[in-house]
Amino acid sequence: MKQIAHILKFKIIEFLRLDTKFTFNSIAKSFGSSLIYIVFAAGGFQFVQKLFHFLIIEIKIGLFLLHEFISMILFIFFISVNVGNIIVSYSTLYKSNEINFFFTKPILPARIFAIKFLDNFFYSSSTLIMMLFSLLAGYVVYFKLSVGAFLLLVLNFIPLMFSAASLGVIILLLIIRSASRFGIKRIIYCLGSLYFLIIVFFFNLNSPKMLVTTVLRYYPFVSKDLYLGDLIPPLIKFLPNNWFAQSAYWLVRGDISFSLAYLLLQLVLSLLLFSAAIYLGHRWYFKTWLLNAKLNADFVSKRKESKSFFYFENKSFLKPQTESILKRDLLMFLREPSQYIHFLVLFFLIGIFIFSVSGIKFVGLGNYNLQTIIYLSLFLFNLLFISTLSLRFIFPLISLEGQAYWKMKSSPVQNNLFLRNKIVILGSFILLSALCLSFFSTYRFGTVLTAFSALISILAAITIISINFGMGGLYTNFKEKNAIRLSSSQGASLSFLINIVYMLFIVLVLYKPLSGLFLSIMTNQTFTSTTFYWSLIPIGIPSLILIITFLKIAADSIKKDF
Amino acid sequence: MLELLNLEKTFGNFTAVNRINLKINKGELFGFLGPNGAGKTTTIKMIAGLLSPSFGNIYLDGIDIWLKPIESKMKIGYIPDQPFLYDKLTGKEFLYFSGGLYNLSKEVIKNKIDELTEQLKIGSWIDKRSEEYSQGMRQRIVIASSFLHEPELLIVDEPMIGLDPQSAFDVKKMLKEKAKNGTTIFMSTHSLNVVEEICTHVGIINKGNIIFNDTIKVLHNLKDENNHNLEELFIQLTNEE
Repeated sequence: MKQIAHILKFKIIEFLRLDTKFTFNSIAKSFGSSLIYIVFAAGGFQFVQKLFHFLIIEIKIGLFLLHEFISMILFIFFISVNVGNIIVSYSTLYKSNEINFFFTKPILPARIFAIKFLDNFFYSSSTLIMMLFSLLAGYVVYFKLSVGAFLLLVLNFIPLMFSAASLGVIILLLIIRSASRFGIKRIIYCLGSLYFLIIVFFFNLNSPKMLVTTVLRYYPFVSKDLYLGDLIPPLIKFLPNNWFAQSAYWLVRGDISFSLAYLLLQLVLSLLLFSAAIYLGHRWYFKTWLLNAKLNADFVSKRKESKSFFYFENKSFLKPQTESILKRDLLMFLREPSQYIHFLVLFFLIGIFIFSVSGIKFVGLGNYNLQTIIYLSLFLFNLLFISTLSLRFIFPLISLEGQAYWKMKSSPVQNNLFLRNKIVILGSFILLSALCLSFFSTYRFGTVLTAFSALISILAAITIISINFGMGGLYTNFKEKNAIRLSSSQGASLSFLINIVYMLFIVLVLYKPLSGLFLSIMTNQTFTSTTFYWSLIPIGIPSLILIITFLKIAADSIKKDF
Repeated sequence: MLELLNLEKTFGNFTAVNRINLKINKGELFGFLGPNGAGKTTTIKMIAGLLSPSFGNIYLDGIDIWLKPIESKMKIGYIPDQPFLYDKLTGKEFLYFSGGLYNLSKEVIKNKIDELTEQLKIGSWIDKRSEEYSQGMRQRIVIASSFLHEPELLIVDEPMIGLDPQSAFDVKKMLKEKAKNGTTIFMSTHSLNVVEEICTHVGIINKGNIIFNDTIKVLHNLKDENNHNLEELFIQLTNEE
């Protein structure tokens, strides 16, 4: 324990020292970061209250349904943290130089495992936890709960995330152990399919549409706040996301004993999974580390570089500098499993989302306000996808130049050309996704709205891409090779917060013209599309300012000393 | 050819390079010596375009390289002290990538790679990814990449690190030949033997200041006058400051 504390102490010192240079720039950066955190915390706090007010008072979905929706969102959250942890833990537990250093010192592998696991969890989750505080505070204030209730919710949520992370690291150990017998590719494909089936199974078992229909069947004979526990499928009752939602529900209903019972379940599960992870780490970590090294060596010795389409020797119509930068980035992307697998997974999810929303028809539901909300929710979802893609793939772009950046910096390449080529491929993919998302989620609303959505989506996507590119430049870390760790760093979290603020701004600006449009459709009034397009101006100007500012930040970042 | 004029680099309150002046003529092989932390790599990085000077100028053929960076970089080849490469690219891909950055055509790059593969003996592993390379292999790929565009000025930071005796011999031979053919070489090193063996001129930097700048012949004379070997003379000079 003393050894773990000793190592953690120096890790904390190192972490704190990174941001304690008292230069004007670092102070301005820290001030800016704090300001964004505060704005986001305040925004999140307000947003939760407004959203709950709308759902409970305007839409009247009732407490039970609200908490069931929270449970569903938390399920996706749990899976995301879990999968994210598998990927990040692989690079930190098996591929980092720090691990090689630790293994040359008299430290038990189980301790190294515990240190890196905790380091990983808190490094990646610290910002998420901070953001969570403001959302939970909004929840507590909306339902007029006490400070004690807030602490209970925090105490419930952190173990939920910790369970997801512990389970992730257990799965990772199992993957590497099984890979030697069945082959890594087979294991990864099976695991990917398993996760997909779990998600499909969860939403089949716990379909939001079915749940709403069933709850509304009782209405107005029973209060929608009433606990309709029988509607929760038995299997779902065993899931930690449900325990959090149930615990929160009973807190609001004032039944502390039920709430504590679910909290207890959460804590016990978290403790069990953590203990299991530590136990398995103690038994398998060093063995799997050696196994992984052997698997890698075997893989490398058998590997033959194929002369692909992007091969450098192939003739190209592009100028040499452009060709060099594009081909290098493409080859490096396609040869890094964590990059292309994540890319495929995210695009697969977008595909599913497009497939799901493309068949929905909203016009004519009879409530123009509801239509506006549904439309804006879809729009927000689209933007969230764009933001996630940008954060994951655009934010790390400059940092991924890595320590080999000396070659680029010492070469006769114009900064503009370099920046343009860095962003063009992934940026185009994201813009195309934005266009597809926009088209398939709005084409049933008619030409005016489809064209308007496409315009806004493209503008928003360019802005979000620019924000992430600029922030990635501002928070460059050439020493970090892992794109996932880069996109879950503090700078990335900050970038995400700016994205969120921007997205909410768009939604707020669009609310009035959109509700006007839906009202006119409902009342068969003519709606002049010119009026509608005027609303682009309050979005367009700030967007342009953001695009210019963040592209300038990106351009300035590559002029910095290396 | 290369002129450093009152060149200074500060990091906060610390002055790494203190208004130094140097002039290196075409075809000279200039050995840049100094203890750890003396300012060698900082100076080299300013010439290569990786660090911006806090004060002063760097001229290459009369052109300020920080005012016309693209034009200047076309003439410069740089070999850093740490041979970082892109792990996922093979050595050959890295060479094609480097050549492209200097706008070289595919044919020119291919011919140069063939030539350098022979000279640096990198043919047996050039098609493997650089994540599999040893330090010496990386170093030889970086050296090859810096020769692709036939630079007029070659800036070399610790070229012999990680090289086996045969490779070190080959590199020294290449550097001598390049200088003989008119390439100017600015080489930082800790290896006094290498300086004695191949350099025509020597500069010594200590605590950011140039404390010696002359031909290797003058250095040898100084060594003989003091009845020292080069190592003892270097220690004496750098301790005097």
